[in-house]
Amino acid sequence: MLNADAIHMDWGTGKTAPVKKANRLKATRLGSAIVHDYWSDLFSAKERGKKVVWYNGTYIPPFFHAHDLAWVHGEAWSAYLAARHVEGDAQSAGESRGYDRELCSYARTHIGQALMDKKDLQDGKIDPQSAKGIAISQLPLPDMIVNAYPYCSSGQQWDEMIYRLFDKRVPIFHVNVPMLWGGRKDAAYLSGSEMDEKIGYVSRQLRAMTDFLVENTGRKYDWDRLSEVMAFIKKSAELRLEAMDMCTATPSPASFFDWIVSIAHVNFMPGTQRLVDFFEAMKAEIAERVANGEGAVPQEKYRFFFDGMMNWNKVGWLAEKFAANNACVVAGRYTHMSFWQEPQAIDLADPVAGMAHNYLACPNNSGAPYMIGEIDRLCEKFKIDGMVMHVSRTCRGMTNSQHLIVDSARRHGRAALFFEGDVADESFYKDELLNTRLEAMIESLDSKRIMAA
Amino acid sequence: MHFPVELAHAAGALPVIIQEAEDPITDGEGAVFSFYCGYNRSVADQALKGRLKFLDAIMFGDHCVQLLGTADIIRWHDPELPIVFEQPVSSLDMDWAFDETRSVYVKLKEDVEELLGARITDDALKASISLFNRNRQLIRKIYEMRVAGTTDLSARQMQHIIKSSMVMDRQEHTGLLERLVEAIEARPASRRQGMPVYLSGHLCQAPKLELLDMIESTGTVVVGDDLYHGYRFISTDIDEEDDPMTALANWYLRKNEKVPCPTRADGDADWDEFLVRDMRRTGAEGLIVLVAKFCEPHMYYFPEIQERCRREGIPMLKLETEHDSMPMEAFKTRLETFVEVARRRRRHEKPESKQERSHAQC
Repeated sequence: MLNADAIHMDWGTGKTAPVKKANRLKATRLGSAIVHDYWSDLFSAKERGKKVVWYNGTYIPPFFHAHDLAWVHGEAWSAYLAARHVEGDAQSAGESRGYDRELCSYARTHIGQALMDKKDLQDGKIDPQSAKGIAISQLPLPDMIVNAYPYCSSGQQWDEMIYRLFDKRVPIFHVNVPMLWGGRKDAAYLSGSEMDEKIGYVSRQLRAMTDFLVENTGRKYDWDRLSEVMAFIKKSAELRLEAMDMCTATPSPASFFDWIVSIAHVNFMPGTQRLVDFFEAMKAEIAERVANGEGAVPQEKYRFFFDGMMNWNKVGWLAEKFAANNACVVAGRYTHMSFWQEPQAIDLADPVAGMAHNYLACPNNSGAPYMIGEIDRLCEKFKIDGMVMHVSRTCRGMTNSQHLIVDSARRHGRAALFFEGDVADESFYKDELLNTRLEAMIESLDSKRIMAA
Repeated sequence: MHFPVELAHAAGALPVIIQEAEDPITDGEGAVFSFYCGYNRSVADQALKGRLKFLDAIMFGDHCVQLLGTADIIRWHDPELPIVFEQPVSSLDMDWAFDETRSVYVKLKEDVEELLGARITDDALKASISLFNRNRQLIRKIYEMRVAGTTDLSARQMQHIIKSSMVMDRQEHTGLLERLVEAIEARPASRRQGMPVYLSGHLCQAPKLELLDMIESTGTVVVGDDLYHGYRFISTDIDEEDDPMTALANWYLRKNEKVPCPTRADGDADWDEFLVRDMRRTGAEGLIVLVAKFCEPHMYYFPEIQERCRREGIPMLKLETEHDSMPMEAFKTRLETFVEVARRRRRHEKPESKQERSHAQC
């Protein structure tokens, strides 16, 4: 049964909400400060004379950082609005222009905001002092647009729309990160001749992208600075992976939700010593928890793997729901298979090829058999009991192989549930569906354990 | 959608473009979520039902995220079926677009040669290119006849012509086309009466024939389209004089100049601009946009098309189509209203012709 204590009724709203039980890492507070400072710096970037790049897709900010640019990640901006629950009006603005609700909600939010809210703010229709007004008015407009999407065909159209919304006056650059199908005899996960060829292809484009940055700033590209930035990124990535590895302990000292709130850091935070300090602090706290037998979920009974893009409206909500049922979501595809997941590939003396290697390593970007093989390996490593499949309604990139992932998980004796939600449109999330399915999965796991005993 | 089937033909294979099936999706429901487009759900369904076993291999590798998933579903459930996968560049206006596309097609050629155990010579490839060009040219000629009003082929019949070219032996199909063109030229028909309209959309699968019939039954005549099972498919020839691999790469990049494809990133191409231009060329007075539900590339560009139509005063109707659950009666009401409104608007702009008045009274 679903833990009865896990649910209480909020009589004010009539909605049920889980009792908070997750034992979050204290180090995440350091991370929050980094994120806060990033946005603050970004909001004042133009005042400091910096040019601003809007980009979508993979984690290319080190190229911008080394060239002393400010950067806005479209997905991150939409997630930022969603996490603050101020995304609705931007989405409505997009819908009123004719964007279908089934379109990627990241894109709908970003385009809607870029298209309408800026204008409404300028026209005085939005109060600049409101929470929404403050968030919207602060975002600096782009001097350049860069698109660098692996796998998802929706991502490049999104930036094409932004390009058109600015009347094609903002220069745009595309980096194609092609899929690794893995059809050749020497194919394996992130290796083989296909991988080698694609690294060369993406590397050439990344170098061309630096020419684009030079052309639009009139400044020479500083390759030494890129190496310096990447030294911090590489160290941070190594620390993160080492800390993740410690979560093989039972109970797991950190959960998927700790890793999800530190996604921004490996995704688009500046590569500095501060980033390294943050991941060192995270690792130290996790090591301390392992030594003390302290878990991210105090009474861990079940260990789950989270698959799918995060539902940014519901991060805390979901963390507490699973914790309240003594379920620790230990690992996930989004957290454990993306974002500088292959730091050993980066040669700091000439980092571009290693960066291309990492961009190609987006888990969706590998053919399903290879990607699923890696998921199965992670599930084995972290002793996973069941799969929690977030079917993110408007994100086909993450939902594409989910039936196959479950097929493989069940062959390996793991339970699985699907629940529908979305990355930045909470209207697709149905809490009762998840409650019912979670209850059923937990009952099934209990029965299995009783039988085994 | 964008693979040069000439390569398979030159290797001695019969290239067949996989079509959406008519029957309801059953087995595929467990493989593809319901919020994916009908074409992908149907192709996965056909694969799971074993209906693609007649194929020796599938050439995949488009950029559409949904199609990438379908390719993996087929591989997962039928690992014995070879899938040749090479992904051409999707950003057509980047400096490296030509070189990359050419190298992808060279690799594709090697893949096909290895798979079929046959060498594709330049002469064989040129012969295939020439044959396929001839096929495209004949279909374009029929399109021109339709614009000129010398043939009364319906939208349903035009789809039959295109779809059969996608699945039949091209030599045989070209012979049939030659006879058809001769027959039309020998006995030119009078122009069918009704409001001339243009069909846009459906980037992968064919609109259902019943829908095309319904569109024309409400007092319209389809005079042009950019459908994949339409002009989009035959818009661009391949240079027969150039090195064939270079010609194929140029064909891939140039197609977007002829009929823009929203699955590609190309700052120089505007679908709305193309539509207005092509509607003028064909004499269309109304635009019917057929959006396959869950087709993201189309969803991105639709607002631009809608806004452009408003600015230009072009009557426009959007119909969202599905594999099943098509609300045909609701479509009929909307089509009739669209035609009535467009006619009324036109009456304000110019006097109605005698013939159309007669048709409207029917």
